[in-house]
Amino acid sequence: MVEDLNWAIGGEAGDGIDSTGKIFAQALSRAGRHVFTSKDFASRIRGGYTAYKIRTSVDEVQSVVDRLDILVALTQRTIDENLDELHEGSAIIYDGERSWDADIPEDIMGVDVPLKSLAEDAGGSIMRNVVALGAACELTGFDVEYLDESLEKRFGGKGSQIVENNKEAARLGQEYVRENYDLGDLGYDLETTDNDYVLLNGDEAIGMGAIAAGCRFYAGYPITPATDVMTYLTGRIEEFGGHVVQAEDELAAINMALGAARGGARSMTATSGPGIDLMAETFGLVATSETPLVIVDVMRSGPSTGMPTKQEQGDLNMTLYGGHGEIPRFVVAPTTISECFWKTVEAFNYAEKYQTPVYVVADLSLAVTEQTFEPETFDMDEVEVDRGKLVDEDDVDEWLDAQGRFRAHAVTEDGVSPRAIPGTTDAAHMSTGLEHDELGRRTEDQDDRVQQVDKRNRKVETAKEEETWEYRDFGDPDADTLVISWGSNEGALVEALDYLEDDGVDVRVISVPYIFPRPDLSEEIETADDVIVVEANATGQFADVIEHDALTRVKRINKYTGVRFKADELAEEITTKLTEEVPAQ
Amino acid sequence: MSSDVRFTDFKSDKQPTWCPGCGDFGTMNGMMKALAETGNDPDNTFVVAGIGCSGKIGTYMHSYALHGVHGRALPLATGVKMARPDIEVMAAGGDGDGYSIGAGHFVHAVRRNVDMSYVVMDNRIYGLTKGQASPTSRSDFETATTPEGPKQPPVNPLALALASGATFIAQSFASDALRHQEIVQEAIEHDGFGFVNVFSPCVTFNDVDTYDYFRDSLVDLKEEDHDPNDYEAAKQVVLDGEKEYQGVMYKNENSVPYHEQHGVTEDMSDLPDGAPEGAMDLVREFY
Ligand SMILES: Cc1ncc(C[n+]2csc(CCOP(=O)(O)OP(=O)(O)O)c2C)c(N)n1
Ligand code: SF4
Repeated sequence: MVEDLNWAIGGEAGDGIDSTGKIFAQALSRAGRHVFTSKDFASRIRGGYTAYKIRTSVDEVQSVVDRLDILVALTQRTIDENLDELHEGSAIIYDGERSWDADIPEDIMGVDVPLKSLAEDAGGSIMRNVVALGAACELTGFDVEYLDESLEKRFGGKGSQIVENNKEAARLGQEYVRENYDLGDLGYDLETTDNDYVLLNGDEAIGMGAIAAGCRFYAGYPITPATDVMTYLTGRIEEFGGHVVQAEDELAAINMALGAARGGARSMTATSGPGIDLMAETFGLVATSETPLVIVDVMRSGPSTGMPTKQEQGDLNMTLYGGHGEIPRFVVAPTTISECFWKTVEAFNYAEKYQTPVYVVADLSLAVTEQTFEPETFDMDEVEVDRGKLVDEDDVDEWLDAQGRFRAHAVTEDGVSPRAIPGTTDAAHMSTGLEHDELGRRTEDQDDRVQQVDKRNRKVETAKEEETWEYRDFGDPDADTLVISWGSNEGALVEALDYLEDDGVDVRVISVPYIFPRPDLSEEIETADDVIVVEANATGQFADVIEHDALTRVKRINKYTGVRFKADELAEEITTKLTEEVPAQ
Repeated sequence: MSSDVRFTDFKSDKQPTWCPGCGDFGTMNGMMKALAETGNDPDNTFVVAGIGCSGKIGTYMHSYALHGVHGRALPLATGVKMARPDIEVMAAGGDGDGYSIGAGHFVHAVRRNVDMSYVVMDNRIYGLTKGQASPTSRSDFETATTPEGPKQPPVNPLALALASGATFIAQSFASDALRHQEIVQEAIEHDGFGFVNVFSPCVTFNDVDTYDYFRDSLVDLKEEDHDPNDYEAAKQVVLDGEKEYQGVMYKNENSVPYHEQHGVTEDMSDLPDGAPEGAMDLVREFY
């Protein structure tokens, strides 16, 4: 009995691959099964191969594997692209009536379903993908009623006739397979449960986290794979008194967000590589004017326009060091989709408590991947809003100088100054990107300069002490092999532990969600025999940072093909690394 | 706001470092008077400034203020106004700041019609970087970086604004104190983006576009029987390459500012201690 199913639908961009995949994923989620999805997409709107993959199990799933059990192939290329992952016993659903002659590999069951004709019978050829979903239900023994619920959710807004037609299309697909194929030996058992899961991707989780944290203003400029954050917020943030502006470019986006933050709103912008470069000019202004701002960078393959629809973790240095001069900042990097939510909430609190730019660094794999969660994972009652040293009319006096002027950049022990928003009586003040004194006025005085630089940097020191910069720990805590990771690699690594255990390799995995400030790992590194840093870039940007902190060399696993790490692949790579020498000191 | 606010309340105790005689003194005085006259006070006013001699204005005024990076005053001001529709927002900067590095933002701020005023101190030169050609410099204006002149026609900010869908376009002259104040006042009172290009002579680096030049050549639209509500008439005035005008060139009485069009009316600064009410619905949507 196969309980863990890997399913995919593939075709040309414009074939409705995404929405079809999502309908099936939602049906599985509604059936109380865990789902983890991934997407292969090219950077074009029509034409070009695209696929939506689903891994589903009753147990939690958090990565992709090199195995495909059922493939809905709308084109020959879909079959060719996935040959490696198909295995004996896999099935391919295809439409033999279409002009291409499906070349189905030996050992693999070809399920020829007249998708288009059946869809027409149900009311329109547009529903051919839904016919395929019905066929897939029959192949896997999955109750088509869950699919009905998903279709209702998807098409409910378009009227009951459309919903009924789609349900009929699914039925026709199901019946066709039942009548024409003997499924005796496929043997799937897609157990259902009473759990009500929610299914969402990282961009959506970031957007949801922002609203939960009280973000009211968002300005952005469309860019893959960050656009979904803006799409999510649009139409939702308004319900909570907020607003989204599609700016003319990233320079405008970050400056609008900064302006709104000066106005006192919790404010955010999100972008990807090329956009983060454009925003870099303003990083320093955010820090120097001591404005709380959350800047999200959803990384994709660079440099330049690189591979816009492919995975990479190549912007770490940009967020950690980007901008001229020395800029105090925080960098947090969610390692899972649920962390995309929680780290965004945290980011807003850090931003306001420390009046600094806070970067939330996610990657394409987190952003576009959907995963199922218990709804309590996002328990809104647990969200806390800490606005830091926001002063109002009552405590403004404390911060006035002898002439009654507000000391917006007062030099304090913890480095954090009072913050007064417009409208606060007697606190009118100016802020600037120029070096300034306590009042915010331009200065080139050496003492002022040093005091203000130290003050701003002291905020980071305070935060290092006051906040907990933890890491997530997996595997065997006493293992000799320590694997360190950041970003979306965590899921695949955690699953790789199972493969490694089967081979008798004990490994401890540390997944780090804080890039700066970050946990001190020197002790963990010292007690391990082998230290391997895993990241989706070519040069090992996080490994560099780790080596710097621990004053020792580490081994590196780097992947920059544009494709995310897979669990089985990582297990193999780790085993190979263990036989390698540590690089020379 | 209280009616006893005086324009000097908008003055900071910092002495301007502008060259004696710089047009920016007059421009600023008019702005402060206009703000006071329109019933604002420093605690409900936010001034956003660009970079340049002109951009220093935020330092010499007293109000909530933000001095940004070069060319980005308008996006900053837009953000402030979005978060705080209750606050009076004014943006100010130079012709280089606004029409060169910030030209893209200018077009979009105009078409967004955010309810703020934008005062550009147009001295037809880069002052702070010591006298290079600016986008409004004449095509034969000789500078160290353009020894034979830029050899390009100057940007026409008024026409650019009109073409971008502006709802208020005006021009004033820093040394015609009363008219300048009057015009800025009208820009503040306009429901939408109130754009004022101010001739603000640079006495140090520009010996062509001087006080005398403007005094002699300026034509006041008030005396020309010009109807600012007449779009066709506005078109003629802003495209007139022969004369320099002051006054309100165009004003759309039906202007609906951005925040009203988009239903942004709440002060966004006030927040609960936790997630907003109803936030759990956001999760349920993903069932
Ligand atoms: C990104 C960037 N580029 C260049 C500069 C240098 N710079 C400062 S002011 C200025 C020109 C200012 O001209 P204008 O806006 O006309 O103002 P004015 O000084 O004439 O009032 C330039 C180029 C800068 N500060 N930032
Ligand atoms: S250089 Fe020109 S613009 Fe700058 S302060 Fe002097 S006169 Fe004014």
